[in-house]
Amino acid sequence: MSASEKVLAVEGVSSGYGAATVVRNVNLSVGKGEIVALLGKNGMGKSTLLKTIMGYLPVQQGVISLRQQNVTREPPHRIAGRGVAYSPQAEAIFHDLTVRENLVLGMPDPRRFDEEFARLCEVFPFMKDRLAQRAGTLSGGEQKMLILARALMARPNLILIDEITEGLQPSVIDRLGSALLDERDNTGVSIFLVEQHIQFALRVADRWAVLKLGEIDDAGECAAPSAAARIANHLAV
Amino acid sequence: MSVLLLDIVTTAAILFTVATGLMIILGVMKLINFAHGAFLTIGGYAAYVATVAGWSPWLAIPFAALVGLALGLVVEYVIVRPLYARPLDAILATWGLGIIIGQLITIGFGREVQFVEPPISGAVEFFGLSYSAYRLLLVVVAMVIGAALTGLLYFTRFGLNARAVIMNEDLARGLGIDSTKVRLATFGLGAALASMAGALITPLISVDPNLGLPWLVNSFMLVLASGVSIPGLMIVSLLLGGAQVVVSTYISPIIGGLTIVVLAALILRIRPQGIG
Amino acid sequence: MTEETLASAKTAPATSARPRPEWQRVLRWGGLAVALLAVAPFVLDTYTVNILIRALFLAALALTVDILWGYTGVLTFGQSAFFGIGAYACALVFTHYGFGPDWAVLALVAGVVAAMAVGALIGWLAFYHGASPLYASIVTLALPIVLTQVVFAGGRYTGSSSGLSGFPTYYWDLETWFWVAGGFLTVVTCLAVLFVRSDMGRVLVAIRENEMRCAYLGIPVPRIKILVMTAMAGVGAVAGFGYAAFTNVVAPELTGFLLGTELLIWVALGGRGTIIGPVLGTVAIDVTSSYLSGSLPFVWKLLIGFAFVAVIVALPQGLLPELGKALRRLLRQTPPPSPVPELREKPPSNIVDHGRTPLFVEGVARNFGSLQVLQGIDFSARRGELLSLVGPNGAGKTTLIRCLADGMERSGGKVTIFGRELGRWPPEKCVALGIGRKFQAASIFETLTVAECLRIARFRLERFSVWSASPILDLPEAALRIVKETGLADRLDIEVRYLSHGQKQALDLAMVLALEPTIVLLDEPTAGLTKTERERIGGILTSLVERDRLSVLLVEHDLDFVRQISSRVIVMHQGKIVLDGSVAEVVDSELVREIYAGSGHEAAGVET
Repeated sequence: MSASEKVLAVEGVSSGYGAATVVRNVNLSVGKGEIVALLGKNGMGKSTLLKTIMGYLPVQQGVISLRQQNVTREPPHRIAGRGVAYSPQAEAIFHDLTVRENLVLGMPDPRRFDEEFARLCEVFPFMKDRLAQRAGTLSGGEQKMLILARALMARPNLILIDEITEGLQPSVIDRLGSALLDERDNTGVSIFLVEQHIQFALRVADRWAVLKLGEIDDAGECAAPSAAARIANHLAV
Repeated sequence: MSVLLLDIVTTAAILFTVATGLMIILGVMKLINFAHGAFLTIGGYAAYVATVAGWSPWLAIPFAALVGLALGLVVEYVIVRPLYARPLDAILATWGLGIIIGQLITIGFGREVQFVEPPISGAVEFFGLSYSAYRLLLVVVAMVIGAALTGLLYFTRFGLNARAVIMNEDLARGLGIDSTKVRLATFGLGAALASMAGALITPLISVDPNLGLPWLVNSFMLVLASGVSIPGLMIVSLLLGGAQVVVSTYISPIIGGLTIVVLAALILRIRPQGIG
Repeated sequence: MTEETLASAKTAPATSARPRPEWQRVLRWGGLAVALLAVAPFVLDTYTVNILIRALFLAALALTVDILWGYTGVLTFGQSAFFGIGAYACALVFTHYGFGPDWAVLALVAGVVAAMAVGALIGWLAFYHGASPLYASIVTLALPIVLTQVVFAGGRYTGSSSGLSGFPTYYWDLETWFWVAGGFLTVVTCLAVLFVRSDMGRVLVAIRENEMRCAYLGIPVPRIKILVMTAMAGVGAVAGFGYAAFTNVVAPELTGFLLGTELLIWVALGGRGTIIGPVLGTVAIDVTSSYLSGSLPFVWKLLIGFAFVAVIVALPQGLLPELGKALRRLLRQTPPPSPVPELREKPPSNIVDHGRTPLFVEGVARNFGSLQVLQGIDFSARRGELLSLVGPNGAGKTTLIRCLADGMERSGGKVTIFGRELGRWPPEKCVALGIGRKFQAASIFETLTVAECLRIARFRLERFSVWSASPILDLPEAALRIVKETGLADRLDIEVRYLSHGQKQALDLAMVLALEPTIVLLDEPTAGLTKTERERIGGILTSLVERDRLSVLLVEHDLDFVRQISSRVIVMHQGKIVLDGSVAEVVDSELVREIYAGSGHEAAGVET
């Protein structure tokens, strides 16, 4: 992959909270139309890395670029403004806002709401008559679909998702996976997933990496036959 | 009896109008603006300047709002912005700002009491009673302000962004909302509302450099007791404002002056989140 | 960890010269102040002496604001009310009842008692468990407003809006009054300096820095705040009494909200949390105001306004600390090192083994609205057991810890500690039962030194002096060991905000152990630590369990770490306990693999 195709490039990045360094010297990249999964056990720094990319946490060392632009010190709303759709692991929707309001908030151009929403209803038909419902009253699975829907409606260049499969039924996970793959195939969006669900990651992603104690411990292609065993080994308890 | 009812309703309307600017800033920015009283005073003097210049009293009100908006934007940028992480210090800094504004007004206009003409004067017949036309007008104004603010918060993109920032600022930022801008606009809006309210109440009282102070304390108490919501503020304005009118009428105006402060402090002890 | 390392790590030899006790230093400065005050009336002109006397009384009042706001963190608008009560006690008694030494004493006592009663009432209103800091400000704002109206309503008895004047009082020479006021201020200031530098004074700072943490260290925060409020009300009343007796005039403004805010301005400009700053600031500003109010009345107040805003925004610590820094730079002096207490090992308390189960949890549940975060939690912990709580994010582990350390947290069920039921108790009472909780993030008192933080943790077990700082710091063996092994023993005089992340975590753990708990609750103590630091914590936890026979409950994500040190493991998932057993039984079980490695239901379906 040539450098010009990199949508996200993380080079030698360390970051953390205050004086604590949680992520150490991480290098990784996501190419155009590529899906990369970051795996690792709890507390290893996966979410911290996503928050650092999004500009929530100061980069202690290293460079983060989006489409060749250095964005290392940009605040979250600027990063989002560059076409990055981010879904945090917890508190990822506004519970007291309606479904429609949640979707609108993700869109840089709300005038395209009807058009995008029509497209979306083909992926998640249940949403069609739920626009006025308070998002907090959706079921757990529906909330996750809303998170994904919000990301897709923004028509981003890059989607960053933190553990979307957590606590979900297999059928829901399946639909989310298909939705991500379809979106990538249709729009060429790049996706960076943080996951603990190995099967899901392997099904969706092109490449994987494992984070251990804040450092990239191992990485590879998802198509490789040994991938599942290698990752499972890293995540084993 | 009916006059008492009209007194209660018009007093509540005035209290609501005066407190909204403080509430919008507290609601969105989690910041208690103790310069609120000074912004009211500025509005009063803006109306006075308009009167002296010979403008229509109707024009004085938008003029005051504009002055407040401009001042609010500057103040947010210079004084308030560094203090978001220190909410108690923000109270003090805005109080200090109030002193500065008060002294500048004193230097500019002197300490004398000034008077402003109301846009409409005299009394109207209202259900067989003769009642101040301007006070009744203020009830309409309060309702318009309440409706306009509700519309702004619930039917515009700015309102949606502001509510998103209130509920979860980190998530809102991650979705591309510049919370710094939302705060700047909110403080400008709050200052504009306060200044406009100052212009609205001056025909009833009179203008002097300390006009805003008693209103600041009552607004502060009402806003906290309201649970920082528009309907909540309407209800507490009616309840506590009503209590104030009743106590002032039947017991003593001096005790009446305490009603709002004491009742609000008690409400907050029992329900720290207010009635909203 | 061997005995040798312990012995060799011992620091702070007893032979080192101990710094001069605080009271001697205070006495020297106090003597200097007295000397200055003695001479001043003969050097200064009458007008200056006159306004200085008022300023000295007001400075004593500002000092009480500093203790409440600068030290304890209570932003009070209402100290003027207590000043007013003292002043009106003087004026009312002298006007309506009589004058003479007996009456004067009676008036003073009445004023102080009334002020302290009001102060206690305000404290009771404002400081309850879980009150927001803003509420105290609201109540202290309401107080002077109410009191002013009460004075207005008093008619001829209180003189209403014009106040009372011309009542009989002591028409001493100006010098005498100056010495009385100056002497009063000097005594109050010296006592205040001793107080804020004492062990008890450090507790106030700890409350300002992190009130919640104080509660979890067993410190009864509301009670202490009420006591401080009451005491400061009394001091304020004495100052008000003196002010009224000297000026021979009282007016409603003395009780008012505006004076209350002016006090905040003086304290902020002088330097909150320094005692001397507010005292000097008040005197300087008040005297200058009196001179300039004639020639430049509005401009002067405008300047004060600008200075106040600038100080709050840019120099929140006020002018005195900045002046001090500048002076030191000029004289090329380094600040004197803060005295370091000698570390001493406290002999283990004779914990009676009741033979009862340390921790017994039955049917504990926690709801947030309709959301059930915990349900039907049953387990018990034995002595000498390291029990790890594991499970994916959101399983309810931290919520469970919270329910064990704060009786108000749980929505249902029963928690029994050594046979005693944990009622609806606030954290400080749970600590008394033997529970020590360490939060996930290091929760320490940023502006206190390492030694002071450790001392604060001893509050429940030791008597804290109000006038002095103890030269000896007794710590139980486990806490002492952490302090020494992590190098904290050599950094006792360092403010903890300068510590590394690892040292902060270690200090926090040492503070928990300094409580001498029998049940230790730890929420991810190794998060963000290096490998060496993790191993050290592991070793300490193991010895706590094996040697000290404590019950340790550990929330941990790192299953390798859990495997190494646990004696038992509880697995939580979606708010319930799904497994409870030995390390071997649990960690290698299929269920845990499914839940924990995130392979979820799908995998479970495939593999069963």
